[in-house]
Amino acid sequence: MLEYLITILIVSAFLMLAVRRDFIAIAAILLSFFMILALFFQSQIIVVRYGGWTPPFGIVWEVDKLNAFIGLIIAGMASLVTIYSIKCIKERRHRFYTLLCLMTTGLLGVCLTGDIFNMYVFFEILSISSYGLVAFFLDKNAIEGAFKYLVMGSLGSSLLLLGIAILYGLTGTLNFADLALKVSHSREFMIALGLIIGGFCLKAAIVPFHMWKPDAIEGTPIPMGALFSTATAALGVYGILRLLFVFGMLQLNLMLIILGTITMLAGALLALVQINVKRMLAYSGISQVGYVVMAIGFGTSAGFAAGLYHILNNALIKGLLFMAIGCVIYITGKENLDEMGIRNRTLLVCTGIGVLSMAGVPPLNGFVSKWLIFMASWEISPLLTVLAITASAITLAYGLKIFSSLFFAQKRAEGKIPTTMLVPVIILTILCVIIGVFPQLGLAVVEPAVNALLNQNQYITAALGGG
Amino acid sequence: MLETLVTGALLSVIGIYCVIAKKNLVKKMIGLGIFTNFIHLMLISTGFREGGIAPIIIRENVGFFAAYSVDPLPQALVLTSIVIQLSVTALGLSIAILAFRHFNTLDTEKMNKLKG
Repeated sequence: MLEYLITILIVSAFLMLAVRRDFIAIAAILLSFFMILALFFQSQIIVVRYGGWTPPFGIVWEVDKLNAFIGLIIAGMASLVTIYSIKCIKERRHRFYTLLCLMTTGLLGVCLTGDIFNMYVFFEILSISSYGLVAFFLDKNAIEGAFKYLVMGSLGSSLLLLGIAILYGLTGTLNFADLALKVSHSREFMIALGLIIGGFCLKAAIVPFHMWKPDAIEGTPIPMGALFSTATAALGVYGILRLLFVFGMLQLNLMLIILGTITMLAGALLALVQINVKRMLAYSGISQVGYVVMAIGFGTSAGFAAGLYHILNNALIKGLLFMAIGCVIYITGKENLDEMGIRNRTLLVCTGIGVLSMAGVPPLNGFVSKWLIFMASWEISPLLTVLAITASAITLAYGLKIFSSLFFAQKRAEGKIPTTMLVPVIILTILCVIIGVFPQLGLAVVEPAVNALLNQNQYITAALGGG
Repeated sequence: MLETLVTGALLSVIGIYCVIAKKNLVKKMIGLGIFTNFIHLMLISTGFREGGIAPIIIRENVGFFAAYSVDPLPQALVLTSIVIQLSVTALGLSIAILAFRHFNTLDTEKMNKLKG
């Protein structure tokens, strides 16, 4: 079944260009979501051999709980974005859906593959369709954002390819499981690992590589902003995790903690000074990824659990906020923070819940994972906890800016929001509240992924043992 | 092997310099192309073997093939990567054309966000 996932997505992408019916793209992406959902409930590791070659030689796809968890976030966000875009994108929608199908192909391909060069190819499919989506409106902002993203993104994927070249030169294999057996902790491997992690840091917009994200999100259609801040960011973190898992995570903890802390603080501070709401949310997304990377850097199982939980919560919250703010922009047509007054009660409640959850107010889901991160960081160093709480306070500050501009606006615009735009917002709001009130539900989803991450041997034997 | 490394170092420096220092969008794309060619050179040199033969396998020469041929896998990887680079360049140049239509120049100094 999994073999046909990519075929379905690519065929429907090109069908969209020819036939121009929205339901093809929606059906394809929803179908891929249900496929990943079915994978998520499988108990054992699934290995798909393409062309019948045994793993060290042929291309394999390998799905354990970690892949399935990240894939579920990606496919879920992609399907919500697809439904949201039916009314949100008014013209040239078939081209938008073509690019969206290709981008989902890239995201899921990078996430599910077990072969590092295959990963590079899907990474480029993802990148090229993202550049196209950023340039979608073809106006000044979109073109400049797209060119900036294109130059930085191509340099990033070149670094990835260079890292892969060094790895292949050293080991003579491209399979993750086989690499895990052949890797040593010499300096050459560390260079290769640094290059590959640099490529993924660019996708996840970790701070020295974050400049493309606000410009790209300002130019792009707003549903894509939701996808960049949730799915692409989750994918970047997944890439770092998978690579650390292949190499053993001994020497890079400190680097990740430093990068994560800087990202967390710089993203939050830069978000505070923005006037454009799309740019503010983009910087806020950067800051939340910083929390995740810092938590992963702890290297403890509590840290991994907190980090993965925060990926899930960040996807829910940022998806909710981008889509709700997209509805506001749909009515008012303005992107500045002081012109966002609306009358629609449902939308106000949903946005309010999103903002409070992002700031980490207790009965909502943002609080749960931030609390876990604070607890995990206390064991490493209390200084990190202080920094994380500081960043959380800054988050509350810029959250309140959005909050006040929505609730205390003098001029309020009237307008009707299409149901297809409101439904994804309401679904995400309900999920935010449910996970906040019953944190065990989220933990039940995250725990298997953490276990899969810590049991490397299962992954290796599943790939190489069955040959 | 030394020649490859020297050429690679030169290409990478020229490419990075072009992307960062040049103000023209088309020159930036050329720089990206040079940098990617450096990586292709490195990748293909990992499969190199002194005095090796072309990796074409026929039924009679399997043992000979294993002993003397160069590694065919990096060549396949480089072919894939060249195709990807082609599409990135095409997309980048078409975005540069659109930027020219909007700003009537290709100079990044005269645009709003590409200054840095």
